[in-house]
Amino acid sequence: MFSFTTIRVGFYLAVRQVRRANLWATGLIVFVMLLTFLNLVVVTGLLVGIVAGISNQFRTQETGDVIISTLDTKEYIENSPDILSFLYTLHEPQVISARYRAAGTIEANYLARTDPNEKPNKTGTTVVGIDPIVENRFSHLASYVHEGQYLSPSDYDTVLLGPQLVDRYSFGEQPGLTPLKNVYPGSKIRLTVNGHVREVVVKGILDVSANSPLAARVFMPAPEVRQLMGRTDYAVSEVAILLPPGADAPAFRDFLKRSGLAAGAKIRTFQDAIPNGVAEVQNTFAMIGNAIGSIGLVVAAITIFIVIFINAITRRKFIGILKGIGISGEAIEISYIFQSLFYAAIGSVIGLVVLYGFLVPYISAHPIVLPISDAIIVAPVGGTMLRIGLLVLTTVVAGYLPSRMIVRKNTLDSILGRD
Amino acid sequence: MIEIKNLVKTFKDGPVETRVLKGIDFLVRDGEFVAIIGRSGAGKSTLLYQMSLLDEPTDGDVLIEGHSTRVMTQDEEIRFRLEKFGYVFQDYALLPELTALENVALPLLMQGADRVIAEARATEALERVGLGNRLGNLPGQLSGGEQQRVSISRAIAHTPSVLFADEPTANLDKESSAVVMNIFKELHEGGQTIIMVTHEDEFARFAGRIIKIDDGRIVSDARV
Repeated sequence: MFSFTTIRVGFYLAVRQVRRANLWATGLIVFVMLLTFLNLVVVTGLLVGIVAGISNQFRTQETGDVIISTLDTKEYIENSPDILSFLYTLHEPQVISARYRAAGTIEANYLARTDPNEKPNKTGTTVVGIDPIVENRFSHLASYVHEGQYLSPSDYDTVLLGPQLVDRYSFGEQPGLTPLKNVYPGSKIRLTVNGHVREVVVKGILDVSANSPLAARVFMPAPEVRQLMGRTDYAVSEVAILLPPGADAPAFRDFLKRSGLAAGAKIRTFQDAIPNGVAEVQNTFAMIGNAIGSIGLVVAAITIFIVIFINAITRRKFIGILKGIGISGEAIEISYIFQSLFYAAIGSVIGLVVLYGFLVPYISAHPIVLPISDAIIVAPVGGTMLRIGLLVLTTVVAGYLPSRMIVRKNTLDSILGRD
Repeated sequence: MIEIKNLVKTFKDGPVETRVLKGIDFLVRDGEFVAIIGRSGAGKSTLLYQMSLLDEPTDGDVLIEGHSTRVMTQDEEIRFRLEKFGYVFQDYALLPELTALENVALPLLMQGADRVIAEARATEALERVGLGNRLGNLPGQLSGGEQQRVSISRAIAHTPSVLFADEPTANLDKESSAVVMNIFKELHEGGQTIIMVTHEDEFARFAGRIIKIDDGRIVSDARV
């Protein structure tokens, strides 16, 4: 059995075999382990990160950490001015963005249309009334302006358009959405909200991914939207609250509820407000990532098996000699287990350094821009440790089996190289 | 004391059976230096492997200090070899990634000795064969004669009851062979039981008893 002495002798042998092994061969095995580790963690992390990118877009561009929105039976938040006044007295919120939101339509090329039977270039949209300065602090909206300019508070009859509303930027026609053709900064479009029609000038066009909440929206200064909606009571449609990094959003949500704000509005964290489908997609992507990672794990196991098997078979004579001079089979097997552990541990440690020292911070700072979202790498430490555990376990088994096969062979046959 | 009783060893290669040992009987007393000689293919190495528990006989028995070895498990055999036997192989059989000192210390560690003690005893054994200055050398950095002396050190460091040597001088030049044989002679004079296989008569004469094997049988057993 595996006694202290067999473990000690196994370790003694393993250390010397690794230390005096060919440097290139050791480097290659460690490199394979590194790639396996990255395959296990990064592929899954990136797939989850694509969806996390979508979720993150919702948080940074729409909901913030906590969002106060209308009850299902209402079109506005009751007592909005009181709620906002209360919020402004709190020290936790970093930015508070109150918005008006209304369903509307926009139409382009109406001046060029000569045939009354011709289908108008018109689409439904959501018109969002914002304070341009506050909204820019909240969602950095100005940074997404690809063509033209951002809004200023004094603007009148000007709008920003999401890319899905503009033919040349949209990702194809979607149900209920007909992108506008030949629309550029300076173009005039016709905006209809609540039966009020107004001709407005396109001041800027945004560049965001297809799943961004900004993609199919029209933005204009809040006073104008309020006017179009016919509201005179300053009751807003939603209040998005950004908290400092690391703040406890559920605790803040609960605090607002306890403060009586829930009577006239829905108060939710970003996680509560995220559409159900996104969470399901996230789980699906995680499963796909795990499946791909599992294949990587099998490849790593086979690689280690082959490496240890070749090592053991080429050293069969020496294994025979070890047994001949009285070194137990267990000690020899343990030496191979230690070698496998060494390869897995070094590969994982380098992988951790590459992952948390470079990949995660770099990709977080420079997300991978994909049509669906700006992807990041999601690699929680707990999950990574679990994967390292799996990798080590697989490697140990893959190292143990071939050594066991060779150690079990007849001692004298091994020494003399007989089959 | 090792007693060999009607030892038979047959090798099978498909339907072909080759009987290499055809019923060997003899007894080796403690402190004896026995040389087993014979022409190539006579069965002398096969006999050594059966006696030293590296291989299992087809029939017959090897009794060590009166105890039969036929009922031993493989683990018991390994343990027995570790505690009681020392081996010197024709091709030295050193582990290439271990230094001379580490090669010699390894069986001592396996016996449970503390590393400091094991290395001290290994150093002593290497100094005994004149290799006190080559402790940190890998086998590849040593000559054939030096490697064989390391092999002898490894075999004697744990003070075995019996030292088995299989053609210990076969790969060595005359000078190195003489050095190795003088070491055996000294060990024998110190009371070490040695059983050595050789095909060289001049080295067999170092032994106190010569057993000649031919065609799987003992043809002579003489004290020198």
